[in-house]
Amino acid sequence: MAELDASQPLPERGIAVRDLTLAYGDTVVQQDLSFHVQPASIFVIMGVSGCGKSTLLRHMIDLEQAEQGDIVFDGHRLWTEDGVERAALQRRIGVLFQSTALWSSMSVGENVGLPLQLHTRLSAAEIRDQVAFKLALVGLAGQESRMPSELSGGMQKRAGLARAIALDPDYLFLDEPSAGLDPITSQRLDSLIMNLRDALQLSVIAVTHELPSIFTIADDSIYLDNESRRAIAHGDPRTLAEHAEQARVRAFLNRQPIAADDGPS
Amino acid sequence: MRPNKTIAHNPKPATCQNREIRSFRYRAFVPQTASPTSNLYRIEARPDGVALVLAGDWGAATHLPTTPRVVDELLGATGADASGQAVVDGRELVSAHPRVAALVYGVNQQLRKRDVALRYEGLPESVQALVTLARPAAATDTTVRRAHWLTRLGERGRMRLGSVSNTAELIGNAFAATPKLAVGRAQARWVDFMALIRETGASSLPVVTIVNLLIGAVLGFVGAVQLATFGAGLYLADLVGIAVAREMAAIMTAFIMAGRIGATFAAHLATMEANEEIDALRMIGVSPFEFLVLPRLTALTLMMPLLFLYAAALGIGGGMIVAELVLNTSPASFLGRLQDAVAVRHFVIGFIKAVCFGVLIALASCYLGMRAGRNAAEVGRAATRTVVVSIIGIIVIDAIFALCTNALGV
Repeated sequence: MAELDASQPLPERGIAVRDLTLAYGDTVVQQDLSFHVQPASIFVIMGVSGCGKSTLLRHMIDLEQAEQGDIVFDGHRLWTEDGVERAALQRRIGVLFQSTALWSSMSVGENVGLPLQLHTRLSAAEIRDQVAFKLALVGLAGQESRMPSELSGGMQKRAGLARAIALDPDYLFLDEPSAGLDPITSQRLDSLIMNLRDALQLSVIAVTHELPSIFTIADDSIYLDNESRRAIAHGDPRTLAEHAEQARVRAFLNRQPIAADDGPS
Repeated sequence: MRPNKTIAHNPKPATCQNREIRSFRYRAFVPQTASPTSNLYRIEARPDGVALVLAGDWGAATHLPTTPRVVDELLGATGADASGQAVVDGRELVSAHPRVAALVYGVNQQLRKRDVALRYEGLPESVQALVTLARPAAATDTTVRRAHWLTRLGERGRMRLGSVSNTAELIGNAFAATPKLAVGRAQARWVDFMALIRETGASSLPVVTIVNLLIGAVLGFVGAVQLATFGAGLYLADLVGIAVAREMAAIMTAFIMAGRIGATFAAHLATMEANEEIDALRMIGVSPFEFLVLPRLTALTLMMPLLFLYAAALGIGGGMIVAELVLNTSPASFLGRLQDAVAVRHFVIGFIKAVCFGVLIALASCYLGMRAGRNAAEVGRAATRTVVVSIIGIIVIDAIFALCTNALGV
């Protein structure tokens, strides 16, 4: 269980989310979210469509700021007033967007190299080495000069992943990484994510509702409920599938229909 | 906050054997001034082969050794080619940063091509794991061979001919489908058509007003100054009236519509193409031409002449204001002279031109928008090309009109 008590001191390692309430105007998306992501682990945020998974992810990567609550990376608050510290923290975060968001006017190599060009003082030759290695890590060695439009969906995901790890981040956020991929490509991507977690000691936070992926990669998870607008289950999804107190969570993880009177508990 | 990422690493102490190894740098590869990467690696000759010794904190380094340079040093100075083996020694590394793995991977790939085996000594396990995880490119040849220049020239010519035939097809479709729209049998929605009428017509009025009023005023001012020199200020109405009715109102309105509406149409259709919305229309049996192009073509063709009449009135109004201010010519005198000097045929010529410009802008924007590639950059490119093509087309059509009307004595 990764729940975090607001009264407890902040953990020095990993990501701590404390009393977070997500809202767009008066519409509350999720409230009172508190959990802890262990270092070098894969944490899955799951739930049905529209429950606020991607909204939570957008807050965790600082694309949105919550009115209430806090997110702390290795003891450092994300929403600090110190712009320099905030920018430094952002550089330790890599993101694979759901649509991959590869820049279509740039080649794959340029996509991966741009973060290095902007945030390091490495020369072009030094960046070329790093780009070649990152692409080889995701199985796209030698594809530097291809344009994103020339890649298949699975290759685009891997190119997006190479871009996400270009700056050797400590935290990797994945928004629906296997969405739209065939089962074999999806399984390969899952293996790649786990290998990268082990090799780079990454803390990986994945938003997904793909059950095979959840059971394959998750060390820990949280279930966001779209009715109560709260996280109603935390823990290893394999355990939750069998023993979750909430019928809704068991139904989700066992791919069963949810009865109309199934409450959160 | 940790400034740099490091992977857990326990550097092993150097062995006695290593300390006895003859360690040196090759003069040929030692720069006279200290290289920014000189503290990160060195080359050593050892009894069991040449060694690449990695050292220092690679995470904190602002510059890194590059693969080609390190491989050159390994091969060029020590003859690793001959010995057939090389060693990567990582015992002096302060941290096991992923950047180390990038170099080791690159060096490994290059040495393999030269049949030189690479062995690791004291290289952190995490770095080795990363190097193992990286998969080299497939051996298959994926390079695209450049075709002969004659082939490329022919290919380019074929593509141009294809564009001409596509344009002809578009114009043909326009002629064939317009009657369908007139009798209400086209596969188009009236709500879309009315929205396009509003967008091309009423929404364009503010910018058409500003531009044409000022163009009329500028023409009036330049004309007034010159004509006053000869005491011919009375003829300002002739100058402004003919220039505006015959040329400026239609051209300036067309320029505005090319930038404002043409670019919008092209970007919208290119985005629809990128999102496969046009394919979805085809799949439900709807003609993209009738559903998307025809309403735009009709809306712009109908609105352009109306906007021309409005623009001409404003341009003449601008000239009249200047005549009053600069030459003290009353509006009544100005309009009286205008009635005598500017024949209806000048307005008719401007009116016909406006229709032609509307057709041109609509067809160019729809053609370029629907033929854009499926990515964000192509959307912008389609919009830009529409504006450029439309402006050039407007000038060409205007020149053709000038030649024809001159030949006909109109």
